[in-house]
Amino acid sequence: MEEVILKTGNLTKKYGSQTVVDGLNIEIKRGEIFGLLGPNGAGKSTTMNMLCSITRPTAGTIELFGKNSEKHKKEVIRRIGYIPQELAIHGKLKAWENVELFTSLYGIKGENLRRAVEESLEYVGLSERRNEFAKNFSGGMKRRLNIACAIGHQPELLIFDEPTVGIDPQSRNFILEKIKESNKNGATVIYTSHYMEEVEAICTRIAIMDNGKMIACGTSKELKQMVAGESEDITLEEVFLTLTGKKLRDYAE
Amino acid sequence: MIRYLIKNNFKLMLRNKAILAAMLIGPILVIAMLSSAFEDMMASYESTEEFKTGYRISEDSIFSGNMEEIKRAGKEAGIVFENYPDGDPKAIMEQNDLAGFLVIEGETYTVYESADYETQGKILEYFMGQVEKQVSGQIRNSMFPKEEKEITLPVQKLEFMPAVDSKDYYGIIEVVYFIWCGVVSVAGVLNSEKRNGISQRFQISGMSEMGLYLARWVPAVLTTVCETVVTVLLTVALFGISWGNNPLTILVLLVTTMGAMAVGLLLYSVFQNLAVTIVALFTLVWFMGFFGGSFETYMFSTVSDSLKNLSPIYHVNRVLVEYSCMGKSDYTVSSILYMVAITVVCTALTIFINTIRKRGKA
Ligand SMILES: Nc1ncnc2c1ncn2[C@@H]1O[C@H](COP(=O)(O)OP(=O)(O)O)[C@@H](O)[C@H]1O
Ligand SMILES: [Mg+2]
Repeated sequence: MEEVILKTGNLTKKYGSQTVVDGLNIEIKRGEIFGLLGPNGAGKSTTMNMLCSITRPTAGTIELFGKNSEKHKKEVIRRIGYIPQELAIHGKLKAWENVELFTSLYGIKGENLRRAVEESLEYVGLSERRNEFAKNFSGGMKRRLNIACAIGHQPELLIFDEPTVGIDPQSRNFILEKIKESNKNGATVIYTSHYMEEVEAICTRIAIMDNGKMIACGTSKELKQMVAGESEDITLEEVFLTLTGKKLRDYAE
Repeated sequence: MIRYLIKNNFKLMLRNKAILAAMLIGPILVIAMLSSAFEDMMASYESTEEFKTGYRISEDSIFSGNMEEIKRAGKEAGIVFENYPDGDPKAIMEQNDLAGFLVIEGETYTVYESADYETQGKILEYFMGQVEKQVSGQIRNSMFPKEEKEITLPVQKLEFMPAVDSKDYYGIIEVVYFIWCGVVSVAGVLNSEKRNGISQRFQISGMSEMGLYLARWVPAVLTTVCETVVTVLLTVALFGISWGNNPLTILVLLVTTMGAMAVGLLLYSVFQNLAVTIVALFTLVWFMGFFGGSFETYMFSTVSDSLKNLSPIYHVNRVLVEYSCMGKSDYTVSSILYMVAITVVCTALTIFINTIRKRGKA
């Protein structure tokens, strides 16, 4: 039987009277690339923040690596690599210094740290630019550095929160390839996005989320069948629009 | 490994050139601007000429065994004591053109001052305050005299601060003042962390509050120490300010920096806003400096002793000024203990507040 890496039970988050995440039940197995698809304001980032213990759920449970994430917080969060939607890097530190700082938070030091920094930079293709200040980087390079800062401790579970928003196609393609590569090397991946093609291209399973609720979950094939029956003659985008409605989303990112 | 976090935060602070420059040039500029103004102010206290003071002492006075020593010390401080056993002090002062008159009875003394000799009156008052303090200190030190019947006070020697050069005084005090404001050097780190949402990375790595605190406090202390070393050297090179040769000066400056950074970080943890923190800090430092002799010299200020003693700046100012002009100070222990206590208390409070706050927010 495949190992369950993540399991949420009725995961709920309320801000005041607004229910941002509403009774979410997800189960992710080792080796998956799980896509969380949803329009802006659907509650994707809030969900990811709860998985990483940045935000405390209003109700519900999170089990990571078979352990209750609240009770075993210290142990569990170290096995996760979280790439936040908003860049979290120091502009006045050089690329390698950023990676060193954030990798060292996981207790890695000395020669191991030096190697981890080099490997992380190599992974995101920034080795050559290691000595440049992050503030001088382009949007795509910053995104890649943001990733490098979260993978040095070799996490088993990688959580990417919209890593491709607002960057050039080359960087975007590069990041998607790297995610597939990490997955081949054994990492389980959770990937949130509101770009259908990306999710369809790399994810083994997809959940569609809207207004805090999960409205569908399955492989891209299953989702298409669900909407269009056996014909499957439909794009994921049409599935998405059918399920979430065509009303404009004017939420702030 | 917190050492890498400390190292990189230190880099961030050193790369904040504007603040670094302000902290280096600030005290030098202030000293340059104010030293001439202060010179006049201090000059009025630096009585180059001796002045005469009358005195009378009753035989039952606890000071009776020390009068010779008091006179000798007075001579050093520029006060010539003349004995007038009888008569009205005010009349005697007028007839003999005395700057003041000292009447010692039992355990108390009274200082009469002449309206024509205001400055000298202040000096006499300060002198007697010192005598009283030293005598009572020496009584306490020998609570159990070897010979039980000894009645006279076992005062061996009274020491008085020689006149301090105004340039030295204000030079030293400005440096202390700027150390207290040194926490602005953390601004680079705090700003960058806030603007870039760095704190979530600390949360997801399970960084402890203690670790986070040290990662700010240690580099803040390091940065301020570097700034202070440069400033001190500049005060010597540019203004010829004498810091004395007591190596404890370095220790006092270090614990002052440690305490000052802890106070600054505590304020930040309370206000969570850099601008508000800096306003609050500057206000606090201004008051502590006001009571502690940063504006008016503590020797002659009208602030009461108990208020002065409350101000950590007073202890630090005093110990450093005394090191400068006489190489030692009775305030060594109090200033160091005070700053260490501030460091410990503020650190504990900051960590406590941050822990509570995170619990509430998560
Ligand atoms: N700290 C917060 N306080 C109040 N509302 C919040 C907070 N964080 C997010 N929200 C709200 O929750 C909703 C979902 O946000 P988010 O999880 O960022 O969505 P997504 O990542 O899917 O775009 C939005 O309507 C947002 O305004
Ligand atoms: Mg989001």
